[in-house]
Parts: sequence; C-alpha cells; structure tokens
Amino acid sequence: MATVSIDSGNLVVEMEGLDKLWALKSRLEIPLANVRGATADPGMVRQPKGIRTAGSHIPNVITAGTFRLDGERVFWDVRDAEKAIVVELADERYARLVIQVDDPRSAVDLIERSVKR
Amino acid sequence: MVTRAAVRLFAGRAYDGLSVDDLVNGLGVHRNSLYKTFGSKRGLYLTALRWYLEHEFEPALAAIEKSAPEDGGRDASLVEGGVLDLLLLAAVEQAPGDPEVAGLIRGALARLDDAVGVERATELLGLRLRARTGQRS
Repeated sequence: MATVSIDSGNLVVEMEGLDKLWALKSRLEIPLANVRGATADPGMVRQPKGIRTAGSHIPNVITAGTFRLDGERVFWDVRDAEKAIVVELADERYARLVIQVDDPRSAVDLIERSVKR
Repeated sequence: MVTRAAVRLFAGRAYDGLSVDDLVNGLGVHRNSLYKTFGSKRGLYLTALRWYLEHEFEPALAAIEKSAPEDGGRDASLVEGGVLDLLLLAAVEQAPGDPEVAGLIRGALARLDDAVGVERATELLGLRLRARTGQRS
C-alpha cells in the first residue's frame, strides 16, 4: 500500500510497511509537471506486466517493484487489485506507476485536480 | 476514431459505470496506449467532451440557426437524435464535482440559450431527458 500527497509542486508516493521491502523503494517524488493523470483501475493487474527488473512478483499475491514492458519501465506496488490506481508520467524514469492506495477515488481526485492539461 | 467512439461510450453510460476495461474494449485500444495518449480516464473524458462540443454540439446548433425560422420543427432533431446526451449526462454527474467540466457545460448551456432561447433550451433538455427514458411527449 502507498500514500499519495502533493508537496511543493511534487507528487509524493510513499510505500508503507513491508511494501518498502517488496518494492525496493520507500518513496517516489515526481514534479507535477511530469504527471499526466491518475485513474482508478482494478483491471490493470490482469495486464501483462513484462519482465521484473527489481522487486517481487508472486502472481495473485503481490506485484511490487520495477517491470519492463514494450520498452517502458513501470513501477508496481499492488496486492489488492480493487484499490489499484494508475498514475501516468512523462519524461520520468517510470512511464507509469501502478500503486495500491487506501481510497482510490480521493487519490485520483487529488492528482487530477493538481495536474495541468 | 477513438475520440468519437469515446463520446458514444460516455454519452451512453455514467462515468463511474464505465471501467477502464469497458473503455479499452469499447475503443479497441491497448490499455497502455490509452494511458499514454490521454493520461487518465478523466483525460480521455475531457478530450471527448471538448471534441463533442466542437464537432457535434456546435454544428447541430449552427444548423438550427441557419434553417428558416418559419420551419417549426427545426430544433426537433436535438430531441430525436442523441446530440444532447453527453451534455445532459455531464451536467448531471460530472459537472457538480469537476470545475473543468462545469465550465465547459456552462458554456454549452449558454450557447444553447443563444441558439434557441432560454425557454426553448430548457424545454429541449427536458424533452430529451424524457425521450431517453422511453417516454414520448
């Protein structure tokens, strides 16, 4: 599980508890200018994830860490598909983040409100 | 065309009732390319809504304004066709919680008022609402 917040022009994603370990990352900070949007997407976990380059993947249990697919790097931290959100990025190390949050609707609203289009 | 197809989807069902699975299947695009192109589901929605206002809503109003005033049923097409549907749905479900959508819808309603007058505009929206539930006036 992760928490998302906005801090001085950055989207801050913090992994909680053991997810820090599984994902090999405890915190991501992304300038809002490089955030293109967020979507609640329970179906995302059924997509092909590609090759894990760092982290943990136990199918149907946890997907956490960095995966590579079609030349893109995607960061995953999801156990419960129902609470997965997809955060699309531009000009970042990751093409997108797929993270589990406590309240997908409010996390998506927070990010969408902060993104300029 | 993906945007046009998205207009049909968003005009047909509530925003929250359309999952990304529904969108991916309905539009025939890959999930990742949907995210890459539009950023998010809301990004797709805003793109579709703007496209609809410019390419479907506005031309329909322009056609009404161009037709002869003595032609009595000149705006009946707005009730029979689906051209008001996305406007209606957006006004009811997205505009109250989304200032960007609210701004677009306020503009569209003002445009409709200009084209047919406030009273007729209100009547047309009401008639289309009833038509969508299958009620004939």
